[in-house]
Amino acid sequence: MIEFRLNDRQTHVDAAPMASLASVLREQLALTGTKVACGEGFCGSCTILLDDQPAPACLLPVAHVAGRAVRTVEGLAPNARLSPLQQALADVDAVQCGMCFPGIVMSLTALLERTPRPTRPQVRDALVGNICRCTGYERVVSAVLQLADGGLRETGE
Amino acid sequence: MSSSVIGRDLPRRDAGDKLTGRTRFTIDRQAPGMLHAALRRSDVAAATLLRVDVAPALAMPGVRAVATAADAPGRYGVGVADHPLFAADVIRYHGEPIAAVAADTIEQAEAAAAAIVVETEPLEAHVTMADALAPGARELHPGWERYEELEPGGTRAGNVAWEATVVRGDLDSAMTRDDVVIVEGAYAVGRQNQASLEPRVAIATVEDGRVVVETSTQHPWAVRSGVARLLDISESLVRVVVPAVGGGFGQKFEPSVEPFVALLARKSGSPVKIALSREEEMRTALGRENAEIFIRSAVTSSGEILAREAVVLMDCGAYGGEQTFLTTMTAHTLMGNYRLGAVRLVSRAVYTNTPPTGAFRCCNGVYCTFALERHTDEICAAIDMDRWEFRRRNLIGDGDLGATGQRFEGDVLVPMLDRMVQLRGESPPRPDDGRLYGTSVAVGTWFVFVGPSSATVNLNPDGSATLITAGVELGSGSLVQSLPQIVADQLGLDPADVIVRAADTDAAGFDSGVGGGRTTVSLGAAGTAACAEVRRKLFDAAADLLEAAPHDLELADGMVGVVGTPGRRMPISEVVAHAHGTSGPISGSGAFAAPGAEAMPGCAAGHMLEALDLPVFAVHECDVAVDPATGHVEVLAYRVVQDVGRAINPRAVEGQIQGGVVQGLGYALHEEITIGGDGRIRQAGFETYRLPLAGDVVPVDAELYEGAPSCGPLGAKGAGEVPILAVGAAVACAVADAVKRPVSRLPLTPPHVLALILGRDDEVTHDHIPRSWRANVLSDPDALEAAFASRG
Repeated sequence: MIEFRLNDRQTHVDAAPMASLASVLREQLALTGTKVACGEGFCGSCTILLDDQPAPACLLPVAHVAGRAVRTVEGLAPNARLSPLQQALADVDAVQCGMCFPGIVMSLTALLERTPRPTRPQVRDALVGNICRCTGYERVVSAVLQLADGGLRETGE
Repeated sequence: MSSSVIGRDLPRRDAGDKLTGRTRFTIDRQAPGMLHAALRRSDVAAATLLRVDVAPALAMPGVRAVATAADAPGRYGVGVADHPLFAADVIRYHGEPIAAVAADTIEQAEAAAAAIVVETEPLEAHVTMADALAPGARELHPGWERYEELEPGGTRAGNVAWEATVVRGDLDSAMTRDDVVIVEGAYAVGRQNQASLEPRVAIATVEDGRVVVETSTQHPWAVRSGVARLLDISESLVRVVVPAVGGGFGQKFEPSVEPFVALLARKSGSPVKIALSREEEMRTALGRENAEIFIRSAVTSSGEILAREAVVLMDCGAYGGEQTFLTTMTAHTLMGNYRLGAVRLVSRAVYTNTPPTGAFRCCNGVYCTFALERHTDEICAAIDMDRWEFRRRNLIGDGDLGATGQRFEGDVLVPMLDRMVQLRGESPPRPDDGRLYGTSVAVGTWFVFVGPSSATVNLNPDGSATLITAGVELGSGSLVQSLPQIVADQLGLDPADVIVRAADTDAAGFDSGVGGGRTTVSLGAAGTAACAEVRRKLFDAAADLLEAAPHDLELADGMVGVVGTPGRRMPISEVVAHAHGTSGPISGSGAFAAPGAEAMPGCAAGHMLEALDLPVFAVHECDVAVDPATGHVEVLAYRVVQDVGRAINPRAVEGQIQGGVVQGLGYALHEEITIGGDGRIRQAGFETYRLPLAGDVVPVDAELYEGAPSCGPLGAKGAGEVPILAVGAAVACAVADAVKRPVSRLPLTPPHVLALILGRDDEVTHDHIPRSWRANVLSDPDALEAAFASRG
């Protein structure tokens, strides 16, 4: 039995220690917001926050998170309220197919927690581990910059 | 009609769930008692299959079913039914499926697939098109003559899966005039992988004797017919439903993984899921094909193009697939854009012992535009004419003939070029930093793949409407933005009151698939026709209630009202309630078919589309800086003027342009696929296949050009496919301008660019392509010319 905090709740799972955190989240806990598009740590679609730092859940053995705090995209928008970042991305029509966005949202959430008013290069650096095949990234970057400038609504609905 | 919803930047209804991880793509779904499937694939490119023994797999723990060629007797394809589900007697590519296993867990399925005994005897592999076309080369498909032809007209023989030709005018006299300059070019491009983040994935369940396939596809009706054909069952026994799709870009236009799970579900009696790994997606994707082009033009000193001939070889891999259709598109792209005198063109889909290729956003248009625009710049250099001036003189305008003799309508391209000059503004600074700076202009012609579509619109008791089609939301927004906006416009509703039914072949009528920029056009037109029936019924029902003639009624703000009498109106819901007691519930059905543009008789042979029903144009410009020490190309600025007909949701179109251009930058600069001598694609994942990242890209300056003629609803054209069309061309022309050397190959990776700068680049010669189109055709060239000469 492996125990860790998941989206602010104490969680126990019965899983092989080397099973990836992504597979445990998706298959045992039905948290399919964490996507696995490459399974090799290159695409970033499985990005979660481990003790507030972005990490690829596809490469993390679940035993490695024992006693630590994991946040997934499902933890960002409780009660279906979008976080300000999610709202900013929706407001600029950034989303297309959507497979990469949970990972992008996690990477950028970590960025904004550390650096509430990032520069364009900082946003681009924060996204370097997230592959998006649809959007060409520009709207994602500009949404974050507008949010940091207070140019968008503060909260979601 | 309320025009207030057309041309508005309305948000996506699926954004919230996609941003919070609640959207359940096919990859996220499971069924109770679901099994997992794995494929046993070939590890050689060409072999005779001597024996397949599945007994060891059946004895493994958790295994519920194993399927092989004996279970799937059919063959499928686009032009020719040449493609079996499993290799039967012959293996034709590295990675070809030999057997499929369903087991309780994916690990059990993979272990059992590996335990299947496969005995083979090697055959000589033709990994390149030059090998496959060499005199006396072994045929990949002995007995090709007996394959069922699904489309008429293509010439086929040996390793040529399909050949299409164009003959127009008198080539020889133009080429031999003494007042022309002859310019020749040879171009080569590699493959490109769609790399949609959701892989090909499907779940099949058997219900009441029918197979229900939930799948990540662009074309539900093609999956329905493909599964039935391969399993040799009636099409009516297959139902296809499609959740949100995590990217397609063309690859999911053909059935691929669905037949495996349909078969295994029937054999096991349990639901079965298959999800391809990223390595399988890299090594067996139906990617954009590698291609080889030779082109020659006769041009006067004033820039008139008197004659043009070209040979295009497209590598279809082991099976013909989409390339049999796409041979049709070289005439409209490589031979497009410009007024031409005489034309000769031969396009061949060539069988090789490599994974089959397929459709990828603008398909061969991307590299045909690259070759054409590089060739155009070479012509400009040869006759010493400004690149913009040459294009302005030669671009097709109203009444001009296309390559196949189609007469184009409207002056579109020259005004777009003018718009680009305005968009450009001032030239960017060129610091003296040792880098080489270049600019370019590239023009492209593509089309909307119109094709038949159907739609049903139900008017609900609450006054909302439900649109039922086989359309699929891939990410472009057509199902969540443009279609509801069009229906809302037609019925005077708020777009939020238009419900869009997810694709289900049991509910929606036939459709030709989401691809080729056709969704907004074809499904929008069918939806508009369905709304016309709804309006008629609604007005008939309201006429009594409002004491007005049906033709005096209008729809706006969810109300039926009398034109010109603001006070006399009532909610649609009340009219629907009235209808329930009289004529019954209100619904409408609508259909759309291609209007049928015509080519000149005798011009085109083997073309599935001789003329373009709905051409779409693009003008791109690119500014680059090249580092001569490393060969790295930085794109400094990128500008697009795109012919959109009418933008239903301009912001959504601009999002497509940014995304499509960036996909094109990957193709132009660093997405490189190489195939080893063993026929295996070397790039197995995102570590070696270098996709564009956030740090690579530039914001694209885009202008939507409206007003070109269109048969689409409200004058719309498809806008999602075209943005990638001219990117390879624009980047290549800008790099050639910067390094002052011809660019003949893509992608322009740093080693490639460095070799160009140092004069060490391998010249593209295409020695296997004879230097006359006549020597490259299977048909009798004299007969083709005679067919044109004797045209009606």
